Amino acid sequence: MRYTLLASLLALIGCGESTTTPPPPTPEPPPDEAPAPPDLTTVDFDPGPARMRRLTANQYAAVVTDLFGPDVVPPARLEPDSRTAGSLALGATVTTVSPRGVELYVDGAAALAGQVLAPERRDRWVRCTPDATVDDACARDTLRALGRRAWRRPLADDELDRLVTVSARAAEVLDDFHAGLEYGVAALLASPAFVYRVELGDADGALDPYAMASRLSFFFWNTGPDDALLDAAADGALDTPAGLRGEAERLAADPRVEAGVRAFFADLLELDRLGAMTKAPELFPHFDETLGPAAREETLAGLVTLVVDERGDYRDVMTTRRAVVDPKLASLYTVRAPARRGFAEVWLPEDGPRLGLLGQASTLALHSHPVSTSATLRGMFVRETLLCQTMPDPPAGVDTSIPEPSGDAPTLRDRVGEHLEAPECAGCHTLMDPIGLALEHFDGIGRYRPTDNGATIDPSGTLDGVPFDGPEGLAHAIREHPAFGPCLVERLYRYALGRVPERGEDAMLDALAQRFSHDGYDVLGLMVELAASPAFRRVGLDDTTDSEGEGTR
Amino acid sequence: MTWDRRRFLRGVLAGGAAVTVGLPGLDVFLPSRGARADGGAFPPRFVLFFWGNGAHPDRWVPDETGPDYALSPQLAPLASVKDVITVVSGCDVKVPNLYPHGSGEKGILSGAPVFKDGEVETFAGPTIDQLIAAEIGGETRFRSIEFGAEGGHLSYSGPHRPNPTENSPHALFERLFGEGFRAPGDAGVVDPKIALRRSVLDAVISDAQALERRLGAADKRRLEAHLDGVRAIELRLARLEADPPQRLACVRPDGPMGDFDPVDGRAQVLAKNRVMCDMIAMALACDQTRVASNFITQPVNNILFEGATAGHHQLTHDEPAEQPQVDAIVKTLVGEMAYFIDALRAIPEGDGTLLDNCAFMATSEVSYGRTHSLDEMPIVLAGRAGGTLRTGFHYRSPSRENASKVHVTLMRALGIVTPGFGADEGFASDGIGALEA
Repeated sequence: MRYTLLASLLALIGCGESTTTPPPPTPEPPPDEAPAPPDLTTVDFDPGPARMRRLTANQYAAVVTDLFGPDVVPPARLEPDSRTAGSLALGATVTTVSPRGVELYVDGAAALAGQVLAPERRDRWVRCTPDATVDDACARDTLRALGRRAWRRPLADDELDRLVTVSARAAEVLDDFHAGLEYGVAALLASPAFVYRVELGDADGALDPYAMASRLSFFFWNTGPDDALLDAAADGALDTPAGLRGEAERLAADPRVEAGVRAFFADLLELDRLGAMTKAPELFPHFDETLGPAAREETLAGLVTLVVDERGDYRDVMTTRRAVVDPKLASLYTVRAPARRGFAEVWLPEDGPRLGLLGQASTLALHSHPVSTSATLRGMFVRETLLCQTMPDPPAGVDTSIPEPSGDAPTLRDRVGEHLEAPECAGCHTLMDPIGLALEHFDGIGRYRPTDNGATIDPSGTLDGVPFDGPEGLAHAIREHPAFGPCLVERLYRYALGRVPERGEDAMLDALAQRFSHDGYDVLGLMVELAASPAFRRVGLDDTTDSEGEGTR
Repeated sequence: MTWDRRRFLRGVLAGGAAVTVGLPGLDVFLPSRGARADGGAFPPRFVLFFWGNGAHPDRWVPDETGPDYALSPQLAPLASVKDVITVVSGCDVKVPNLYPHGSGEKGILSGAPVFKDGEVETFAGPTIDQLIAAEIGGETRFRSIEFGAEGGHLSYSGPHRPNPTENSPHALFERLFGEGFRAPGDAGVVDPKIALRRSVLDAVISDAQALERRLGAADKRRLEAHLDGVRAIELRLARLEADPPQRLACVRPDGPMGDFDPVDGRAQVLAKNRVMCDMIAMALACDQTRVASNFITQPVNNILFEGATAGHHQLTHDEPAEQPQVDAIVKTLVGEMAYFIDALRAIPEGDGTLLDNCAFMATSEVSYGRTHSLDEMPIVLAGRAGGTLRTGFHYRSPSRENASKVHVTLMRALGIVTPGFGADEGFASDGIGALEA
């Protein structure tokens, strides 16, 4: 049972405990002896609860554009997304909106309604001709159609009644049918039913079909369901495993899946942080405000090519020599720009140190300081984000400084020596720093440098018992690390469900990881498997409590 | 009105120094002079100034105590406001220091240890500004305002309930002095659209209530907080229809100029801070809010300050010896604190100033950034909360008191009845008598 250990590989590595023992080797069996992939529908697991998720700022904007078209401008300001345990998807589940955030939703809804019912646009949605200032039937038809897309489910009669009443009253006061309807649309868009994704299960622990449709569409497309998906929810297609799989496959094959894949990886790799990066301009002449967005695009465009266009082996993200760069990044990487402007593919030298995700400016610059590299931050990124191993904070009250470069200790490797020797530091830093030291040929924004303070850089090290002699060896060691594939599965699971998996879900995670491996690390395939699995459809008891105490589905 | 009466009596009874305070409570007894007169007594306000990454305790704490003390090198930028501040030293954050910066920010702002919710760390309870806002923030357009040059979130109403820091001067202006603002003397707005906006909110509330019944406890709490936000907007609409507060010093300021974008890769912390401090001082003077928190920079921020060769946080750890660059950054931030205090003092209120009616507290999440120490926290107070606080001296704790006692002192000075502040090791039930007038 070579896979039963996968869940435990994802567990916290106890810093300071013996970590020199390499994980059990997992030789790839020859293909004809590969174990059959598990049947996900029969995995014995306890599903976690569904929670109410706020739309992220990107999702809100995407939904608005889907609903109303690109000429309706979403609000410029909304409550900022909140990153929780490294993830915006988790933040959207646990964080409470502030009073200011509610204000922004309400004001934003009014501004949107004004645009939607502007004379030049309103005929797109108002398909009837009002026969009086107050025409409840016409208002009702319009709100019913808009409401189904906005709330991602049909509106109940009493819900429609409310909106029609608001519209009628306003139409009467303002003596204008469309001006009145604006208030009804504002109420539709200010409602929690629009702002939150409400995922409720039935008494048997099955997700409501419309909630299922939203789960699917936000997972695959990072936006709300289209009419076809809502129709599938309405006619019961999502209630059968075959119907569900069919819809998941349709969504995965649609061009909009690119937006979903981008959203997942941008969240996983925290690429939103690239927008507000600080780098000392005098030390990094290549740095300006365009570098962060360019680096983000490089990483996401490369992942889309690998994951969506080619449905390739995800692990190649570590080792590929293909880069998608614009002239700015080409100059940073000292390769010929493949296009005069915009992004295009270029192949990095096969014998050079730059390859894969750890050779990209996004990773190298984000996990550095404003003026220098950081072996610890880069190592921590690999441990926590790529291998799902939790690195604890340093103990408080410890002097965490590293000495300035000197003649005796010119390189970062020399200077972090203390971290690697002092007993209170070494437990964790020996897990992180050697990874980062392998990348010391890349400065704080990812530009190659032959030396550090004039001294030779030694990029060699070991990763959990696997020796490497530089970035290429490190990239391959991570690619082959037994936790690398399962870690992506775990992160995707979190992202899809908006919560940290519970203990009872380990069996499902293991089974998905086996499936991922069996299917050649095809991420879209994994997304379909996850969406079609009981993990996506079944909902556990929400056992969060308050003074009243009782959990609900 | 009980607060004003109590304070008025206290001023009379205490005599001496307290009488020299402008006795703003007396305004209540003056005949109204229409739009020119200040309406009602001056309310108590709470103002917070928070910066990230601490200071150098050896260069922060003044040598002498009492009223005749000399400012320390890092406090020197406060020279122009020395008579209206109180330096508090020798107090510690008592919560376990398990998370560098994380334990400190929770300890000094909420008095409680980090709350670990599964993998996620958050605040265990409300921060001091929100506790106070719950008591004194209900009568104004905004219960509280959180702003700062950098952004982020450090004000919490409870676990996972952040109040994000507004870091855009333009957005802050729009919110405070935009469409919903009316200057003293303006009449209440008569507009049928207000009722229509209210009907939108009523529909939202009905939707939320229907949904709430079907949610688990945690989501129910989140939705209830959302509903509180909707009700706050309803109150704001009601206020729009009433006459605005009468405040002599209140004038709608001009909007901020410029875009405040980084210059040569360096964030414009000072320019942003000053324009926002001026705006907030006026918002307090116009009684748009009574609780304002300035989170000028964040814990662990790596801002490249003018003249610095590395980010602030990195310097606190890696700059050797006396850390002259960190020292310069601390003095810069203390200078911004002085600017804020001065902006509050510049606005007349009754016979005194706006600052006289504020309880102002400045602090950071660590004392010595290099070691993340929570001993000897940097704390500066200013203003007299209407006459209940003493200023113009250096209070040094004789017994390494719990920093939470400062919060208790301020809450009680603002007329709030509270059993204490904080939780677990950080809890304190007593204030510090020496700080009271």
